Amino acid sequence: MIADVPRRAPSSPLAAQIRVISALFMRELLTRFGRSRVGYIWLIGEPLMLALMISALHWASGSHLPNDLPTFLFYGMGYVPFLMFRSIASRGAAAVTSNISLLFHRSITLLDLMIARNIMETLVCMTLVALFVLGGMLTIGEIPHHPGQLILGLVLSALLGHGLAMLLGSLQVFVEFTERLVHPFTYILMPISAPFYMVETMPPNVREMLLWNPLVHINEMNRWSMFGDRIVPHYDLGYVMIWVLGLNLLGMAGLRAARPRLSMSD
Amino acid sequence: MIELENVWKRFESRQQGHRYILRGVHARIRRGDQVGILGRNGAGKSTLLRIFAGVEAPTRGRIRREMSISWPIGGGYGIQSSLTGIANARFIARLYGMPLQRTEEFVADFSELGPYFREPVRTYSSGMLSRLLMALSFAVDFDCYLVDEALSTGDARFANKCREVLEVRRANAAMLLVSHNAGHVKKYCKTAAILRNGMLEFYEDVDEAIAAYQGL
Repeated sequence: MIADVPRRAPSSPLAAQIRVISALFMRELLTRFGRSRVGYIWLIGEPLMLALMISALHWASGSHLPNDLPTFLFYGMGYVPFLMFRSIASRGAAAVTSNISLLFHRSITLLDLMIARNIMETLVCMTLVALFVLGGMLTIGEIPHHPGQLILGLVLSALLGHGLAMLLGSLQVFVEFTERLVHPFTYILMPISAPFYMVETMPPNVREMLLWNPLVHINEMNRWSMFGDRIVPHYDLGYVMIWVLGLNLLGMAGLRAARPRLSMSD
Repeated sequence: MIELENVWKRFESRQQGHRYILRGVHARIRRGDQVGILGRNGAGKSTLLRIFAGVEAPTRGRIRREMSISWPIGGGYGIQSSLTGIANARFIARLYGMPLQRTEEFVADFSELGPYFREPVRTYSSGMLSRLLMALSFAVDFDCYLVDEALSTGDARFANKCREVLEVRRANAAMLLVSHNAGHVKKYCKTAAILRNGMLEFYEDVDEAIAAYQGL
């Protein structure tokens, strides 16, 4: 009996890639959050705590928002997507050099590793946002103005982070020093991405500078999707799409160029 | 069949510029072959195996693969040491599209890890790790198994089990084993080759190869 294993049927390239990504996804869940059920709660619980703290701090500092926007929800909804973007960009960048052992399986590409990891980050963030929205609905009756576009906004910022992660991850293979720049870079990005303030309240020259950053557009769009016309949003969906496309194409090309240069010998 | 045609591999090193570790390797592995490749430490055995596996590209040369080939089996390659044996079995099953339950049972049965199957792989001894690795790869219906020293730490009983599997699957399965140890090649292989100065010399007969290797 020990010798006999079922022969596999050949599968299409797409089916094979989905299989690889889902295997990596399951592995990612296990390695990051352990085997216990508590681990899965922690997966949501840890960033939730952080987001609740940040929102509570802003709320307690008594900052007043125009048009009676709910303070707590406003900051929470600004912070959570940025958290996702940051962890996709910085963790993803590290994924290239930290998973070399997995590349011993020929079917696994660097792109598969990135996709599996970032799908998980995105799902975690979506759950957090859903919890915040649900909390808002139950406590103050705040119903999202345009839920579909809110989801689109989150997906776009995940894709932006995904492209950046691929680009930074492959740069790391060529220039080792990049690794040290990833973290500071994501910190600098925070104040200039408008997660906690509105572009409308800025002077025109600052406004113009901010709008070079695609994350600003996404944050503005998300706020409008959430709070509707109590906000004057400044965003251009086409501009964001160009960034998403550009970063992803560059990132994929980067991974392709980086793969043969990764040393597999120990 | 797997065929390597004039394969060269260059490594860059910081001190000495670059250095060719493979200089024109020719090889042909057919179904049912059990080939041992002997070489001293640093001769390029593992590099050659990675090129066979298709996870490292040669600097120059052509490779044709007409069989499904395992990943290089040995040294903890391709598995996650923070996960348990069972989690790794599930990962391999998902990755290669094998039924989960069956693969788990096969690996548990073949590796004989007992309660350790549910412990993280990093707690394993080297013999246990080898048993897990061989079991994981035998759980998938590869046409060619690439073994990088994973068989060197098993005991006689485990060696017999591995030979039995290869015997039963001979119609489909080939094995390529690299080792610096002539004894292992003698135990598992029907033909052998020596990797020396970046080139591969094939011998019809294992004993002849071993004699030539030990005369080096």
